Amino acid sequence: MKKTLNINIGNSIIHIEEDACELLNTYLIEVKQHFGKSADDFEIVSDIENRIAEMFTEMLHTQQKQVIELADVQVVIELMGSVKDFENESAEEEPEPYRNAHSSGFGERKIFRDTEEAMAAGVCAGLSHYLRMDVSILRIIAVMTVFLGGSGLIAYLILWVSIPRAVTRAEKMAMKGEAFNLQGFKRNFEEEMSNLKDSFRNAGDHMRPFVKESGTFVTEFAEVLGTFVRTAGKTILKFIAIVIMISASMALISALISVAALLGFWDSSTTEIFPLNIVDKAYFSTFVIAALFVVIIPLFSLILLSIRVAFNSRSINKMFSYALLLLWICALSVAIFYTAKISTEFKEDAEFTQNVPLKAYPLYTLSIDRSRFFSREDSLRYQLSAKEYTGRIIQDDKSGPFKAPRNVSIRIEKSEGALPSLTESYSSQGINFETALYHAKNIHYDFTQKDSVLKFSPQLHLMKNVNWRNQQVKLVLRVPVGVKLNIDRDLDRYLQGYSLWDCGDEEHREEPYQAIMTAEGLKCIFDQ
Amino acid sequence: MRKGILEYCVLLIISRGEIYASDIIAELKSAKLLVVEGTLYPLLTRLKNNGLLNYNWVESTGGPPRKYYTLTPDGVSILSQLDGTWQELSFAIAQSKESKKN
Repeated sequence: MKKTLNINIGNSIIHIEEDACELLNTYLIEVKQHFGKSADDFEIVSDIENRIAEMFTEMLHTQQKQVIELADVQVVIELMGSVKDFENESAEEEPEPYRNAHSSGFGERKIFRDTEEAMAAGVCAGLSHYLRMDVSILRIIAVMTVFLGGSGLIAYLILWVSIPRAVTRAEKMAMKGEAFNLQGFKRNFEEEMSNLKDSFRNAGDHMRPFVKESGTFVTEFAEVLGTFVRTAGKTILKFIAIVIMISASMALISALISVAALLGFWDSSTTEIFPLNIVDKAYFSTFVIAALFVVIIPLFSLILLSIRVAFNSRSINKMFSYALLLLWICALSVAIFYTAKISTEFKEDAEFTQNVPLKAYPLYTLSIDRSRFFSREDSLRYQLSAKEYTGRIIQDDKSGPFKAPRNVSIRIEKSEGALPSLTESYSSQGINFETALYHAKNIHYDFTQKDSVLKFSPQLHLMKNVNWRNQQVKLVLRVPVGVKLNIDRDLDRYLQGYSLWDCGDEEHREEPYQAIMTAEGLKCIFDQ
Repeated sequence: MRKGILEYCVLLIISRGEIYASDIIAELKSAKLLVVEGTLYPLLTRLKNNGLLNYNWVESTGGPPRKYYTLTPDGVSILSQLDGTWQELSFAIAQSKESKKN
C-alpha cells in the first residue's frame, strides 16, 4: 500500500504516488532554476509542465490505471531530458569565435562591400576584411579624412560605386578569405542563423531583405542613409545617455559626501561656517537631509532613465517611481518650510550704538589688527587661563573658516567739538525686535587705542551658538579739523565714503595714506 | 550545425499549418532530430520572441487548452531566406561529393 497525492499540473488533476511526486517535484525545481532567469523563461517552464501533464494523462489512459507511479515519472523525465541536456543545448548556442577566420583564412581574399556589418554602405567593413584590419580603426580614419577638406567623402563615394557588394554566399566568403569548401559553408550557415536571430531583435529590420532585392543604387542609397541615421543616431543617443549617467552618478556621490561633511562627519564645526550658520542648529540636520533628498531624487531618476536608454533595460517599477515622487515632494515641502522659517528670521532690524571717547592726539595712525581680544565668555569657551596666556597675543586665523560676509565698515567724519570720538553701532536682524536686539548684543568687536594708534579688527565675531542674522558693525570715527591721519592701506576696503585708492602716486604706494581733516572733510595730503 | 537545422525544420513543420507543440515533437522524433523534448520549448520561445512565431490557445476535448503555433509574416520571409541558404548548402555538398569522385 502506498500513499497517493492529488496534484494540479498544467491545469490537470493527476493522482500520483508520494515517491513519484517527490521525484517530479525535484525535477521541476531543477528545471525552474535552470530557466528561471526572466519572464520569458517562465513560459518555457509552464510549457514543459503542460507537456508533462499531457504525458501523464496519456499514460493513465493507455495503461488503464488510476495513479502515476515512480517508473512513469522516470520515463517522462527521460523523454523530457534532464537539466544537463538543456545545459549542453545552451552551450552549443555560444557562437564560436569565427572572427579569427581572418588569420586562418586559406582562400584568396577579394574585395567586396560588407553590407551586413555596415555603418553606411559597408565600404569600411569590406576594406577591413580585405586589409585584415580592425574596422573601427578604418572608420576613425574615414571620419577624420572627411574633415580634411572632404576628400574622404569623395573617396568613400568612389569606393562605394566601384566596389561590388557581397551578395552571394561565395562572395561573402571570398570577402572574408574563407576557403571555398564545405567547412566554410557550414560555418556560414550557422553564422547566418545566429545573425538572423540577432537582427530580428531590432524591429523594422525585416524590411531590409526586400529593399536589398531591388538592388538599384538609388534605393540602396536611401536605405543606407536610413540605417546610418538609425544606427549612428542610436549610438550617439546611447553615448549621450552614458555621459549623463556618469556625470549624474558623480553629482550624486558628491552630494552624498558633502551632506556627510555638512552633518559633521569630519569637522563638527560646520554649522559655524557661513552660509550654513544661517540655519539654526535645532533643525540643521533635518534641513540638510531634506535638501539632500530634493537634490538626489531627480539625479537618481536621471540615472535610471539614462540606463534605460543606454542599455535598453526595462523601465522601473511603477510603485517604486511613485514612492520616489512622493518622497521628493515630502522632502521639497520640508525644505520649503524651513526656508520660509529661516527667511522670517530676517524680518526685523535692531541696532544699538555706543560711544567710545578717544584720547586727543594731533596725529592718529589707523591700522587693521588681527589680534583677538577675548571676552569673559570666550575665555570660558576656549578654556583660557590668565596664567598661560599672559603676555601672549592670539592672532585670528586669516585662512580660518569663512564665518560671515564683510560686516565691518568705517567712516571718518569731522567732529563737531574739539574732541575725537568713535561711535560703534551694532545691528542685526531677527524674527522680532527682541531677538534682533539679542543678536546685536551678542556681537563681539575688537577696537583698541594704544596712544595715537587706533587698531580695528577686520571682522566681528559671533558668540557661540549664534546664527548669522546679518550682524554688522558700523564705526564712525569723528576727528576735529586739522588732525592728521595715517591710514593703513589694508584699511582701505573697510572705509566707506572715501576712496583713498588714488591718494598718493607711484612713489608712495607702499606707505600708509596720509590724510588731513579739513572743514570740507578728509583730504589727501599727497595731493596738496 | 544541428542547431540551425533544427530551427529550420521547426519552421518548415509549422509553415504547413497551425500545429500543436506535442505534434511538432512527434514529427521531430520520427525524423530523429530531437533527443529530449525539453529542448524544444526554449527553442519555440526564442523563435516566438524573435517574432517568427505566434500562438493561439485552442480548447481541446477533455483537457486544458493547447497552444497552437503559426508562422508570422516575418517567419515566412525568414523561411524563404533559409530555403535559399539550404539550396546553396546542398548544392555545395553535392559539388564536393562530385569533386571527390573525380
